Amino acid sequence: MKGVANVETVLKIDHLTKKFSGLVAVNDLSIEMRKHTIHALIGPNGSGKSTTVNLVTGFLKTSEGTVKYHGEEIQDRPIHEISRKGISRTFQNLKLFKSMTVLENLMVGGHSKTEQGILNFLVNPVKARQEEKMLKEKAEDILNTLGMYELRNENIGNIAYGRQKVTELGRALMCDPKLLFLDEPAAGLNPTERVEFVSILLKVFESGIDLFLIEHNMDVVMNISNMITVINFGTKIAEGTPKEVQNDTQVISAYLGDKYRK
Amino acid sequence: MKENKKYLKIFLYTLLAIVLLILPEIISNSYYQLLINQTLINAIVVMGLNYITGMTGQMNMGTGGIYALGAYGMALLTTKTGLSPWLGLLLAIVLGLLIGRGLGYPSLRISGIYLALTTIAFAEVVRLLLTNWSDFTGGAIGVQGIPKFSIFGYTLDTDQKYYYMLLVLTAILAITAKRIISSKWGRVFQSIKDNPDAAEACGVNIAQIKILAFTLAAVYGCIGGALYSCLMGYISSNTFNQDLSINYLIMMMLGGIGSVAGNILGAGLVTILPEMLKVLENYYWLIFSIIMLIFAIFMPYGLVSVPGKIMRYYKSKKKRW
Repeated sequence: MKGVANVETVLKIDHLTKKFSGLVAVNDLSIEMRKHTIHALIGPNGSGKSTTVNLVTGFLKTSEGTVKYHGEEIQDRPIHEISRKGISRTFQNLKLFKSMTVLENLMVGGHSKTEQGILNFLVNPVKARQEEKMLKEKAEDILNTLGMYELRNENIGNIAYGRQKVTELGRALMCDPKLLFLDEPAAGLNPTERVEFVSILLKVFESGIDLFLIEHNMDVVMNISNMITVINFGTKIAEGTPKEVQNDTQVISAYLGDKYRK
Repeated sequence: MKENKKYLKIFLYTLLAIVLLILPEIISNSYYQLLINQTLINAIVVMGLNYITGMTGQMNMGTGGIYALGAYGMALLTTKTGLSPWLGLLLAIVLGLLIGRGLGYPSLRISGIYLALTTIAFAEVVRLLLTNWSDFTGGAIGVQGIPKFSIFGYTLDTDQKYYYMLLVLTAILAITAKRIISSKWGRVFQSIKDNPDAAEACGVNIAQIKILAFTLAAVYGCIGGALYSCLMGYISSNTFNQDLSINYLIMMMLGGIGSVAGNILGAGLVTILPEMLKVLENYYWLIFSIIMLIFAIFMPYGLVSVPGKIMRYYKSKKKRW
């Protein structure tokens, strides 16, 4: 790990704890995520993976511990502030804007990047039109790279589940994130869709966006991630490269199962 | 095909403009003129309500209170100080900005039915205040002798003349509403209605946007109230009861949520239809309610959705052949 030590730390989760009254969902969890990595968080159901992501992205208030993004403490900040710092996310159960088209969904994602305030909007229609055009072009660009340009004017409810997931990813990309949290991106996708989604994720990663994913699908996790953290009952039980984690006896008994026992 | 559509649109808009311009000449009945003026004012208020309840999905049942404050602001300023109604209109806008902030803040913490109750309470507090603070507001007797607008010394002393001023103001506010709704602002309003969590994850400051929507609603509502003051020349607190707030909600829902054209249609329908039905004497309100119910069941997306439905019906018929 010597060479890795020099690489800049993007996200530092330090002794993070979350208690729901009596229940400890996340217990003293520390994760360090480095630049240019795909970091996966795995563990059995109810082990606190989604809670961790919700804590980092501001959806839950932490009980103890700190989260640092590029050295700046971001725990307990409002969600939109965290998002504006360059941390985007997708949701385990899709959260899309149901009354809108695919393109409009993406354009809402880019709203916080626009500059014009309401007063300026009212008196300066020329700039308003320019901004709208820029936003639309950016959304169309992203849809193009995601292979969804043809579906841009479809209502979001009319497209397949897999496409909806891609739309949500596209919406997250509209905020120009530096770090992207994906909560079970491959869940509910069929094998073909999964392969496609993974290739999209790799494309996103290559464009310079670090990924932090929660995933149950082992072939996805083992194939694309550089670093894996395994948690059980909110506590970290192992961390390392896919190979190290696969051979960890504790991980095998808690999560992977005997298939991985050599 | 596209060109044809464009010409048709231009033609329809010109036709509409001509009809609206010569409308006072067609109807010589002064009572109908008053109703049409009231329709325009109601349309302004409904367009405001559309921002917060129609687009953003925050239930506001206190429109009557907003409207009342606008009306009393105008009435008291002009009668007590003798200032021009134009300043009253300005005061209404300022009041709208203040009320919007004041009502917007509670909506950050509560939503749904609790917000509805809070806004009802707001309207009731306003009404009771206006009724019982009789030294200042005239109490149940109300305020009389509210002056008419005048433009460069030319007084708009009849409802016909006032109609043209209302028409211009409604047009300006309608165009503004249309622009806001079909822009990034309209989209974020709607994103909050659809899924506030996702909107916030996209970096949208939903607190700020909700307050903005409330402020727009209150400014439109107060302008409507102020214009109403000058239309009637006399106001009393009984007018601004809970029925009024509900009426505005009905106008919005019947016309079509989220559409400016729908708002105006809804305002027209709910303002004029009951008066048309008055020939039925005792039964008119019953019949009106039944008609409203039928509308609500068969046109859940409002009057404005009807042309689209007819078009789709014909298209599907053509395809089958």
